[in-house]
Order: sequence, then C-alpha cells, then structure tokens
Amino acid sequence: MLSDVVCVRCPRSCLIRVAVEEGSVKSVEGYGCRLGFEYAVEEVTNPKRTVCSTVRVVGGRYPRLPVRTSEPVPKSKIREVVEALRGVTVKAPVRRGEVIVRNVAGTGADVVAEMDVEPEAA
Amino acid sequence: MIEVGKDVVVVGGGPSGLAAAVRLAELGYSAAVVESGDELGGILIQCIHDGFGTKLFGKALSGPEFASSFIERLGELGVEAWTRTHVVRVRLEGGSWVLTAVSPRGVLRFKSRAVVYATGCRERTPFEIRVGGTRPAGVYTAGLVQRLVNLYGVLPGRRVLIVGGGDVGMIVARHLHLEGVEELLVVFPEPWFAGLPRNVQQCILDFGIPFRPRTIVKEIVGKERVEGAVLVRVDEKWQPIKGTEEFYPCDAVVFSVGLVPNASQLEELGAEIDPRTRGPVVNEYFETSLRGVFAVGNLLTPFDYVDDAVETAFIAAEGVSKHLSGEARRDKPIPLRPGPNVRLLVPHRVEWASGRDVTLFLRPSVERENPRISVRSSGGELYHTRRRYARPSLMERVELPRGLVESSPEGVVVDVE
Repeated sequence: MLSDVVCVRCPRSCLIRVAVEEGSVKSVEGYGCRLGFEYAVEEVTNPKRTVCSTVRVVGGRYPRLPVRTSEPVPKSKIREVVEALRGVTVKAPVRRGEVIVRNVAGTGADVVAEMDVEPEAA
Repeated sequence: MIEVGKDVVVVGGGPSGLAAAVRLAELGYSAAVVESGDELGGILIQCIHDGFGTKLFGKALSGPEFASSFIERLGELGVEAWTRTHVVRVRLEGGSWVLTAVSPRGVLRFKSRAVVYATGCRERTPFEIRVGGTRPAGVYTAGLVQRLVNLYGVLPGRRVLIVGGGDVGMIVARHLHLEGVEELLVVFPEPWFAGLPRNVQQCILDFGIPFRPRTIVKEIVGKERVEGAVLVRVDEKWQPIKGTEEFYPCDAVVFSVGLVPNASQLEELGAEIDPRTRGPVVNEYFETSLRGVFAVGNLLTPFDYVDDAVETAFIAAEGVSKHLSGEARRDKPIPLRPGPNVRLLVPHRVEWASGRDVTLFLRPSVERENPRISVRSSGGELYHTRRRYARPSLMERVELPRGLVESSPEGVVVDVE
C-alpha cells in the first residue's frame, strides 16, 4: 500500500511516499532530510505529534509558561495531554527544559518548559 | 542624556537582530542591541509551537527555545542589550550614525559607524482589506491572539471566525482549538490554504477544524461586541458572488491577512524601498541604499524559516565588517531582477568588488512541478538548479556563484521555469 505523507517537521513540507507491505515499510521516497525520513515512517505506522501548550506560572512577567512534550506523542493522545495541563501551576523561577509534568497522560513523554522565567519584582 | 558609542548598533532584538549582534561580536566588533519591547526574542516568544531551527540546528525547536540559544550567546559575549528602548530619530553626523532613543532610563544617544535594522514585520489589519460593517470589540489580528493565548492565557471568544488561510491563521486556529474554543471556522478567498502544506496537515486536518475556501468577510456585525459576520463567496478574481451572503454568528473575528515589513523608519531616512516586498532594496550583504545601514530578517520580506532570516543577519554581519574596514565596492552595481514567474527577490543587486557567493531568496508566483530556477543574462543562461516543486507558499534559497554574476555587469534575471 502506498501512502502520501506531508512532512510537518519543517516548513519545506516535503511530500513523502511510503510503501507498506504486510505491515512493514518497504520504501520511502521524496524526503528531504533524516527528520523527514523518520517522520514519514512513523506517520504510517504510529502517527505522533509534539504537543505545545502553556501552563499557569506565578511570579513571572507573564501568567503563562510555554511548555512542550519532550518528544512526539501518539496523535490520539493530543487532547489528553492538553487536558492534563489544565490546573497545573508552577512558580518562577523556571529553567528551560525543566520537567513540568512527568510521563504526561501515560505517553512516556515529559512536559518540559520552553523558556526560563525569572521572578519579577511585584 | 546617556551617550553610547559602538562600532555597530542593531535596531530590533528579535531572532535576526540577535543573530546579527552575536556574529558581529564574534567578529570582534562592539555592538549594542536596541529593542522597543520588554524583552529579547521578538515574535518567537509567542510562537510556542515547534519547527524552528531545522536548518541551523537539525532539530525542531519551539520559538522560545530557538530565541534562548541566541539570547544566551549574546550574554556570553557581553553584548549590551537595551530593552524598552525606542529609536525615535536617526541622523548621519560627521560620518557616524547617531540614533536618538527613549527608554525608562531617559534619552539615549547611540553613535556608531554602522546600523543593522532588524525591525521585522507588522500584521496587515482588517482596514487594509476593506471589511465593512461596525467596529465592535472582539476584532483581532492573529499575532495579537497568539500573544493573548500563549502568554496571557486569554481566549478571544467562544465562537471564533478566522479570516485568512496563511500560516499564522492556521497555527492560531490550532492553539484556539486545543485551548478550548468551542467553535471555529477558517475562511479564505483562495481555492486552498495559502500557507504551507505542513500547517494544513498538522493544524487544520489533524483536528478536523472546519474551513471554507473562496469565502471572505463582507462585514462585521455587532454594536458593543462582535455578534457575527456576513460571509460571502467569491469567484476566481475574489469578486463577491451576489446572493451568496450568509450570516455567521460568532463573538470574535481574527484576521490573519499578511505581514508587511516595518520599513517606515528606513523609508524616512531615505532608503530605497522595493514595491514588491515593501521592504528596503539591498545589496548582496543586505546593505540598504544608505551606506553602512543594513537590513536583515523579516524586514526584508517575511521568511518561511527563521533559519533563513538568521542567515541574512550572519551575511549582513560580514557586510558590516567589509564596510567598517573600507573594502572596495564596484563602480557600478549589478542588478538582480525577478523574472515573470517570481513574485519577489532579495537581494536586489551586487555592489561589492569581491566577497562571498550571492545568497538569493525568491518567492515564486506560480506553482510548478520539477521546476528549474534559472539565472540568465542577455547572453543566455548562466546557471540553473532544480527543485521537486515550486509554490508561492515556499520561499526558495539559491546560492549563486559570485563569478557568474560578475561576468554579467549589465545584470541577471532570476526565474522559475
């Protein structure tokens, strides 16, 4: 079976054709880089996305802290990941890469901070 | 008044300005970054989605992550960054550029031998696309909504109409969907989304967000607050089709209808402006028509990749170095012109006597499979490179050997065939 996949890893949006026979990938054509190759194989076997959202942060410049999953999670889990972040509150200071929620929604991925938040003088 | 003397002043602390300052400091020049906002990082701070840095770092970073790497490097190099500092006047005095700026610390006078402008883009407004009706609360631009949602956790409404099928509109649609907006509709006049296919997939199709091609907003309805919008279908020429008007109830309308370079200060200074890009005309080191004044990043034209925007900053830093060391320029610049299938092309000319190969960025005006990007002079084709496809949503980058351009002093034409 042939599947056409639009790569979402970067703006080039490569159109990648993946041939699958008896559940295993036979060929991958049209990818522009290693990230695209990996994405296309995953998209036809177990589609995943990196989820980016925000959590509440107290004591920083802004009331929200941007966060992301440390790795792509199954597409079917996106909604659960976002729901799991509702009600989460952290306190400044926060360091980029700091784990905010471990093993979010049972995906094995952590939710990590995307940026530093310095405490602001009230 | 605070006096600051530097080799170079960089106006704008977004990714391109930061990249220019970092590279200049690495080359041994003293630089200062002047940023009118509260913090460094520019638009990337609110772009919390991933996909930045694939060219530069081989990783799909989020906007804040990408910005942080440059902000940290700037700190390591000890470059001065002035936030909440707004440049109000620029003058050439005795061979030096003098920038007057206002800041919470008072009035500043920056004096330098070169200036790098990295002021990015602004969003086009509903007024620029002639939307009729009333002017109630609840009408936003997409960038503002992105800021409200991602930094402040505020949703613009419960039922939201998004106008425009470009990348920013699609990305905002996904954020709103995930963050709990109950009903969304995206409308655009084109037959299909104008943005990148990756965003159609991961922002719209992944979540089944409804959309209507060939549809525009005729008018906004509501007295105090948006109550809805009148949608109308359009033909191939984007002309409304009579009798297809329909009232769509909603409490917010978000416009994502394009970006325009923030070039007004450069224009006032007398820099030549390209009517296609609405940004400054530049040479191969991204120097404007004003000697020693450079323009980088989205101020040239909105790029698809921040990586490409940053590359223009790196190249401009080399140009600043050439300017400061008084390297020779050509007697007559060589023009680089867009062909019929090219909507816009930067840079616009080759002006220096020697240097690196010429990095071109062009946006096709047509969609083609297996196209050639060709460079021709009056004597015929000088160079070509192949692509698997070309489309208006995708900016092309071409590295043109300098020798080929120099062999055509009357100029070259770049086209997609």
